[in-house]
Amino acid sequence: MNHILKFNLNGDAVEVAVKSNEKLLDVLRDKLGAVSAKFGCGVAECGACTVLIDGLSVRSCITFAVEVEGKSIVTLEGLQADGPTQIQKAFIKHNAFQCGFCAPGFIMAATELIEKNPSPDEEEMRHALAGNLCRCTGYQNIVDAMNEVAEDNKGGK
Amino acid sequence: MIRFDYIKPASLEECQELLNHYQGKARLFAGGTDLMVEFRADDKKLKDVEVVLDISNLSELKIIKLDEEVISIGSCATFTEIIGNQGLIKYAPFFVEACRTVGSPQIRNTGTIGGSIGTASPASDPGPPLVAMNSILTLLSSAGEREVLLSDFIVGAYKTIIKSNELIKSIKFKTLKPEAGFSFVKLGRRKALAIARMNVAAYVETGEDGTAKDVRIVPGSATPITIRITEAENMLLGKTPSYELHEAVGKKVSEKMIEITGTRWSTPYKEPVIASLVKRALNQATGVKENG
Repeated sequence: MNHILKFNLNGDAVEVAVKSNEKLLDVLRDKLGAVSAKFGCGVAECGACTVLIDGLSVRSCITFAVEVEGKSIVTLEGLQADGPTQIQKAFIKHNAFQCGFCAPGFIMAATELIEKNPSPDEEEMRHALAGNLCRCTGYQNIVDAMNEVAEDNKGGK
Repeated sequence: MIRFDYIKPASLEECQELLNHYQGKARLFAGGTDLMVEFRADDKKLKDVEVVLDISNLSELKIIKLDEEVISIGSCATFTEIIGNQGLIKYAPFFVEACRTVGSPQIRNTGTIGGSIGTASPASDPGPPLVAMNSILTLLSSAGEREVLLSDFIVGAYKTIIKSNELIKSIKFKTLKPEAGFSFVKLGRRKALAIARMNVAAYVETGEDGTAKDVRIVPGSATPITIRITEAENMLLGKTPSYELHEAVGKKVSEKMIEITGTRWSTPYKEPVIASLVKRALNQATGVKENG
């Protein structure tokens, strides 16, 4: 029932003892100190726990820790290792959060989108972010922030 | 939380050995987007589970293969892999459309087609187009492979005929004929993460005279098992598709739904909605204008 798990977290090799039924989210938060991913609903509905596994956004609350053996996990801590990213700056500028609880999840999902599609239109944006819930902003500020990212990428690159 | 061990078999052979060894006390894990929620709820169905066998990364189960007339999808292909597959987009677009509406990006990154079929939820999104294409499953055990129609595989809400030593290896269906029209329409309470709140897959092949030669109508979230409604299909066979006819066919599907499920708390809502969705799906599939 106990496993010694090895994987890459935000660029660093980590090794941690876990039980079969431990969730990735709990291991990240309680054993590895990566607390940006949040526990919201626990059943994959809200998106607050979103992290990237090998570049794909995944719900860490319904992922067993043992599933990620040998994989690469990126949390918000990893994204902002060198300061705020383009997406984070846009979120700050447009005040795309109030309480901030959902923001890490939104930024992870947005990061996956922008990696695949640097200048999405609004419908693509809303489709890609539709799995994340925000109970404060009404989403418009988040969409405004993402529109700015998309515009910048159109012009700049 | 239920206690169990976790094993990631390195091959299909190892997985079969483990299934034989644990004799029904193993639970296959193919993405886990349903299973993890059941575990969290301490679902009674899982109380005898001793081991979880994670097959989601077995490469043999992730192959999407296009032969000239048949498409085969490995059971552990994720929805993200399916909706990004050019062959599927070209040859089974209404199935891809249904997969695009599953859960959220994060669920589609993890959830698999085989996992979805194995869960056998009546509110499946990929289910209706798969049934409409008369899809066939390949089941694998140490005794060999067997094929079974998807519509025979699911025998009740969340119930299938899979044996404890079997796994779903793949699902296959014929590529859609160029002369066929098809559509998938879904009504959700909101766009994403809405477990299908009624959907319909329609498939209509018309002959040179414009009459319908092959009709398949599959409503989802309407009946405990996702099935074709043949009485309704027969109303359209041999006839020229029209708005009025589709309206009547939609009403027939509603009648059949109530016959199967009885009148339930949700019936006053579902009855007109399913009739309207069927009409809309048939109109789309046959190019009939929506406003008559």
